[in-house]
Amino acid sequence: MRGFGEIAERLRRSTVQVFPHGRGKGGGSGVVWSSDGLIVTNAHVARSGEAEVELWDGRRFPSRVAARDPRRDLATLRLVGPTGGVTGLEIATPGDSDGLRPGELVIAIGNPLGFAGALSTGVIHSIGKLPGMGSQRWIRAAVQLAPGNSGGPLANAHGQVVGINTAIVNGLGVAVPGNAAMDFLRRGPRPSLGVVLRPVSQGLLLLEVEPTGAAAAASLRAGDVLLGSFDDLNDALDSGREVLRLQFVREWPAGGRARVREVAVRLDARAEAA
Amino acid sequence: MANELAALSNELAAAVEQAGRTVVAVHARPRFSSSGVFWRPGVIVTAEHTVRREEEITVTLPDGKNAPATLAGADAGTDITVLKADWAGPMNARSSGDPVAGNLALCIGRSEDSGVNATMGIVSAVSGAWRTWRGGRLDHYIRLDLTLYPGSSGGAVINTGGEIIGIATSALSRIAGVAIPAATIDRVVDEILARGHVTRGYLGVGLQPVELPDHQKGLIVLSLEPEGPSAKAGVLIGDILVRLGGTAVSETEEIQLVMEGHAVGQAVEAEVLRGGVSRKIAITVGERPRRD
Repeated sequence: MRGFGEIAERLRRSTVQVFPHGRGKGGGSGVVWSSDGLIVTNAHVARSGEAEVELWDGRRFPSRVAARDPRRDLATLRLVGPTGGVTGLEIATPGDSDGLRPGELVIAIGNPLGFAGALSTGVIHSIGKLPGMGSQRWIRAAVQLAPGNSGGPLANAHGQVVGINTAIVNGLGVAVPGNAAMDFLRRGPRPSLGVVLRPVSQGLLLLEVEPTGAAAAASLRAGDVLLGSFDDLNDALDSGREVLRLQFVREWPAGGRARVREVAVRLDARAEAA
Repeated sequence: MANELAALSNELAAAVEQAGRTVVAVHARPRFSSSGVFWRPGVIVTAEHTVRREEEITVTLPDGKNAPATLAGADAGTDITVLKADWAGPMNARSSGDPVAGNLALCIGRSEDSGVNATMGIVSAVSGAWRTWRGGRLDHYIRLDLTLYPGSSGGAVINTGGEIIGIATSALSRIAGVAIPAATIDRVVDEILARGHVTRGYLGVGLQPVELPDHQKGLIVLSLEPEGPSAKAGVLIGDILVRLGGTAVSETEEIQLVMEGHAVGQAVEAEVLRGGVSRKIAITVGERPRRD
């Protein structure tokens, strides 16, 4: 089919390879979003503050992380050219991910296992929630992905980017909807606690607390257990409130009843739509 | 051109949407739900291997609501389970012709969380009647070259026009997904609704292929079910079965195929060699005892 080749070629020029600093070979992909050098990728690809980006034509530029939303697994990178700016970028065309239907043809471009610009095709499998991942919607696509596709584009039959490939679950490609990426670009990252947590039977165990995050500022520590479910926490974070009152338990006395404490966490205000 | 691709993409999505109107999610096993299809009003078919309990089965209907379903019966041989649930929605058209190898095919499933889901591939092989390793007979063997994800089994296999070819199962072949053909489903649904289970003809003999002195082949009777259909008809251990129902038999699979054409209670003529002399015995087909 001629269409796939044409679309793939155009999309390939808007897809970059991302090599995070301070890590070995493991890189990901990214999408050129604006002609002044803004790249959209996954937060788990842009883990360190800086990353090296290779364009389709082989040019390599340093970049720094402009914004990160670990809850949505999105990040933006800003390319830094020798004189500041970068020219000759081919930007991707965004599409409306709300209109996607199961069965639609999609193509994914990325750098799976280090193969630059590899193409895979398939169909939209489903759109909706993922079990245990809160109320946000994800695109699942029946396309063959591999590590290295992360951060790369998922495009529809018009070549419009409708998702950012993020993970592989049960063999299915999982992508952040393009509209969620647009929202992230317009309004910045959604509020987060700045923690790494794991669901346990009593609630959510804090594994790590970022020193500069909202949780650390509220004196929460690694080892504390937040009461409530992951979905509850996500909904609270998305509620738009600036201050969250969270219940947690610090010590579990042997045999006795644990004391439930409460903490007020002040979240960073989110930029309003321009 | 890209427009043709977009047109195809729209067509596929429309076919999925249409077929999805009869596809349900079936909650009858731990962890993953499976899929099912409203085959007739109030009658759902799904893949038998995905139904692990007989009670507290629920389905997510095409409108997204959950409803209880009751088990009407199952046939492990063809991997079909029939459920009943209230639903007044429209039914979908069946594919009028048989698929051929190379046809595009989609498998449509449903999950509670994300609604209708779809995967696409091609029909990779089609042949005539096929006996499954589970002992049932499919009217056609329809092999699918498409990925069946957890939860896809029991989903509708459709062509690009949205017409139903059958339902998908991953349990009948180790190398590929298989579509259980619509004709087989019709047959099994009829029988389950009428009787609660699928009856299988039974002779009550243990057979082993042997070569005869004239280089013909036959099946020697090694064991007889006491009071079984063959024992009652006068078959003896050591008889060599050479023809059944007018068909020469030299492999045990051939017996199964002949039995498909003879209902329980009907007489089937067996030709056996006893002491080198051919004789004909009429055996009344019994019903295979069912394991619970």
